[in-house]
This record gives sequence, C-alpha cells and structure tokens, in this order.
Amino acid sequence: MKRCSACCLPETQDSIHFDANGVCTVCNQINVKKEVIDWNERGRMLIELCDRFRGKHAYDCVVPFSGGKDSTYTLWYIAEKLKLKPLVVSFDHGFYRPGHLKNRERTLKKLHCDFLSFKASWKIVRELMMESLKRKGDFCWHCHCGVYAGSMQVALKYDVPLIFWGQPDAEYGSYGYSYEEIQEVNERQFNRFVNLGITAEDMAGMLPDWVTPRDLEMFRYPKLEDIKAKGIVSLHLGSFIPWDPLTMAQAIREELGWKWTEVEGIPPKYGYEKVECMFTGVRDYLKYIKRGFGRTTHLVSIDIREGRTTREQAMRDIEQYDGKRPASLDLFLELVGMDEEEFVRIASGMEVAPHKHDPSSVASGAPLPDQPLWRALLGIEG
Amino acid sequence: MQVAVIDTGLGNLHSARKALEAASPEITAYVADSPAELERATHAVLPGVGNFSTCMERLRSTGLDESLVKFAESGRPLLGICLGMQLLAELGDETSPGSGPCPGLGLIPGRVRKLRAPGLRLPHLGWQEVKSVASVSGAMFSGIAASRDFFFVHGYYLDCPPHLVAAWCDYGDSFPAAVVTGNIWAVQFHPEKSREAGIRLLSNFLEGDSCSKFAWFLPSS
Repeated sequence: MKRCSACCLPETQDSIHFDANGVCTVCNQINVKKEVIDWNERGRMLIELCDRFRGKHAYDCVVPFSGGKDSTYTLWYIAEKLKLKPLVVSFDHGFYRPGHLKNRERTLKKLHCDFLSFKASWKIVRELMMESLKRKGDFCWHCHCGVYAGSMQVALKYDVPLIFWGQPDAEYGSYGYSYEEIQEVNERQFNRFVNLGITAEDMAGMLPDWVTPRDLEMFRYPKLEDIKAKGIVSLHLGSFIPWDPLTMAQAIREELGWKWTEVEGIPPKYGYEKVECMFTGVRDYLKYIKRGFGRTTHLVSIDIREGRTTREQAMRDIEQYDGKRPASLDLFLELVGMDEEEFVRIASGMEVAPHKHDPSSVASGAPLPDQPLWRALLGIEG
Repeated sequence: MQVAVIDTGLGNLHSARKALEAASPEITAYVADSPAELERATHAVLPGVGNFSTCMERLRSTGLDESLVKFAESGRPLLGICLGMQLLAELGDETSPGSGPCPGLGLIPGRVRKLRAPGLRLPHLGWQEVKSVASVSGAMFSGIAASRDFFFVHGYYLDCPPHLVAAWCDYGDSFPAAVVTGNIWAVQFHPEKSREAGIRLLSNFLEGDSCSKFAWFLPSS
C-alpha cells in the first residue's frame, strides 16, 4: 500500500489524496493550520461570536458531548474560558465504559453544567447496527446519526441558537473540508459522510416492516427550514483555537481530573483516545480488515505531524499494535447475535483496494482490565 | 448598502439578488435597468448569461454602458459575474456570425476568447477547482480555501494580463477564473451557484476589509 511520504496514512483512508510530493491531504491541512491560519484573528472572532450569543436564551450554546477528550476539552473551554452557559447533550450509544461514566460525572460536577442524555431503544439500535454493518461495514450508524441529528434536534427543541462542536473535519480526516474556511456543521456535512450515505428515511425502508419511521425519529436530521427559522449556528471550537489532541488531553487531566485509560489496539501512551466506547477495538478491527490500518496509524501520524515521533518509530508502533483481534469482539458478537465467520465475511467483502486482508496473520489482543464490568452496564449480567 | 444588480435583459437576475441578500443581511439588493437606478447604488453587480454582443447592445440601448464606466470610475465596488466579467473587457469575440469582434466596456484590459479545450465538452459546465493568487486577490478569497471548487457555465474566457489574475482555473488550458483591478472585481464562475464559498465571496465583495469573518453565516436579526 502506498503511504503518505510525511505521516503514515495509507491510500485506503477515506477521501485521502496525495500531492506531487506524496504528501497526504491531512498533512497538508495541518500545515495550513500551523502556517496559514491567523489564530489571533480567529481568537478575536470567537470572542465576538460569543458576545453575540451570551445571555440571550436559557442556554448560550449546546455542547454535544461524548465525554471523550475532544468534547470534554470543548466543554471545559466553553464553560471556563469563554464563560458561556452550555446545555451539555449526549447521545448515549449504549456502550459507555465504566471509566467514562466516572469521567463524565466528575466533569459535569466541576463545570456545574446542565446535562441531557438520550438513548434509543436497544431493540432498534441492534437492528441499526446489523443493517449498517452489512451495508457499509460500519456498525456505528446509530451513533453517528444520533450525535449529529440529535444535537441539532435538541438545539431546536430547547431554543438554543448556537452549537459548539470540537475539532473541525480538516483536523483528523479532511473529507474535503479545509482549515482556511470556517466549517459549518450542517446537513451537508451530515450527508457527505456522517450518515454513511444512509438517511433515517432510507434506513426505515431497509429495515423489517415492524420498524417504522417513527422509531427512527432520533436519527432524522431536522428540516433546514426549521433550523433557519430559529437561526441556529453550528460550528467547531477548533475553527477558532488550534487543536492538538495530546495537549488537550493533558489539560483536561490537570483541570478536571479526567482519567486516561487503556484502549484496545493502540499503544498505552495514547490513553486519551476514544476511551468512552467498549467497542472502539471492534470498530478499529473492522477498519483494519477493510482498509489495512487501524487507530495506531492515525495516532502516530498525528504525532509525526507534531514532531513527537519519527516515521521509523511510528511504523514500528503500527506493526506492533494495529490489526489485533480485540478481546471485546466475543461480547460484541454475543450482543448483536452474529458469529465471527459472518463478521469477517462482511468486513472482507468491503476491502478497499489494494488492501487484501489475510486472516492467518491476525494475532489476538488482550482484554481490557475493565471488561469484566461491562456485562453489568449492558444489562446482561447473570 | 444599496446593491444594484444590472438588468442585462438576459440571465437569472433573481438568483444573483437572492445570493447577495444571503451574503449580507445589512443590504438592499435591487434590479437596475436604467442609469438613474444604477447611480443611487453603493455597489453594482453585473451578472449575465448569454451572448457578448447581444448583451453589449442591450447595455448601449439603455445607456447603462456609459453609466457603468462612470460608476467604476467613481471608485464604488463593481463585480462582474460570468458574462458580466467578460463585458468588462476591451473586446469580445462572441458575436453573430460574419461580424468582427465587439467592443466591451473597456474596464479591464484584455479580450474575450473562445475556450481552448481540445477533446473536452463546450461549454465548460460544472464544478471546477479554482486556485487563488493571494498577492492579487486581496479580500476576494478571504476565508475561502486557496484551492476551492466553484460552479462554471461558459464557452468563452477573459484573456487578460496575468498580473490582474486573482485566481486560475484549468479546463483543457489554464484561464483566468477571477480578476481584481482596484475597485473592479470579476469572476468567471457563478458565486450565486457555488454555495458556501460563493456566498462568502459575495460577502467579501459587499463588506470588503470590514467583512466580519462570520457575518455571512450568522442569521439576519
């Protein structure tokens, strides 16, 4: 596989392009972030923006909040630095890890925030996971759509005129977005890649007859005319302050006592990455089968761009950590009612050329220390 | 701000007016079909879809040709879009069969020529990458990526001195996608059909350096 000549991202990454020097779109965007953008000016814009919205409604802004590093930092910055009054909104995908729940509670207490969590019926979520896995090789459709459509729905229902997301899409994946432009988080972005090309209406047609459009209300992006009528503005904090995941993870550890923890398939030094979900490892394993790389590739690539590791060390980390069969896979398969053979068959059917998955080379990963606690949280104990 | 959208007798004036209103909540945009209507404007936009010589004939018949030149000389911002860009040139090749090149408004040095795009379909229609030249474009592409897709529909282009070219586009051959000379801006693409980036460009035109960098996506109050 061809890889970026600067970082380690391979050609199978979604929406990636390489320039004449073999440098990828993400690296080029990070160069724009570092060299082109006037962050002092963006900072002034942020202050002006906040001044326009502060104190005019019951809440100044919605902060969509997974409780991971990006949204926790965003919430901290908004409450502590910008002195906005946020309504914190979580779409509960159903798989929060025990450490996450503690982090979340600690953060909300320290920042004195009102918090709203919503969760779809498991019966429906299971159907959605199976359907999007079979069609797209990605079981997270309910989470992508619940987070983005749901947060906009909450802003409409609670009459909150501003939504602050974390990092813009230019930061980790590009998807055609550039740091030079202030990206709006809107239906366009939702349909471009968030919803995997499947709307709630599409999904209702694909699922068995007993699932009706009413059951998928939580995943439906609100009507443009309603958003316009309320004048809701939906932006990323990372369009106004420069983003760096490690610095942010260190800041929230210090400021909020946000605890780092182990995650399957990545080096322990990245204990701030995607810590909230039990099935991060399964998601990344799927990606590995389809695209030949996992989360370690993404993380070491960030570190290369930030000058924290060398490409040689990065390639060694990738070799050591990417592509392991996660121990959580057994629980995942039990939960959705699928056998491993079918899981691998579905994923292999979506290989992105020139990658070819070789099942014989897959090693097993060790279970996470908190995995024994998960069954109780999932309501399937005993 | 009073923004005159010049009635060229051709093309979609309504979409240009709507896009201008979306670009800045502070303005009033209206269609101007006479020199008097143009004279009261703070900004003017010359849109246009159609034939160069037909459109020039129409401007001459209403006296808008001379008043557009006066308007530009007064230092007020003027934006030409698509055919409106081409009409600002000295000369245009798009005329009725048998007749020679047709004089334009002469506000931008250069001549409008047929696109050279061997093997490619003409007119050039669709989204195409536009690469801006920061040293020339000034505020035109402020807040817009240096490489950005815009929407084009045209068979001719404005061939002008390279030091005026604020952005280039490739379609078979490289041609000027945008020109900036003093208070005169011209774009070959259609900002009113180019979604966010197009609206932002119009906002930059209307508000110039004072353009609050996010005013364009804030709702009007």
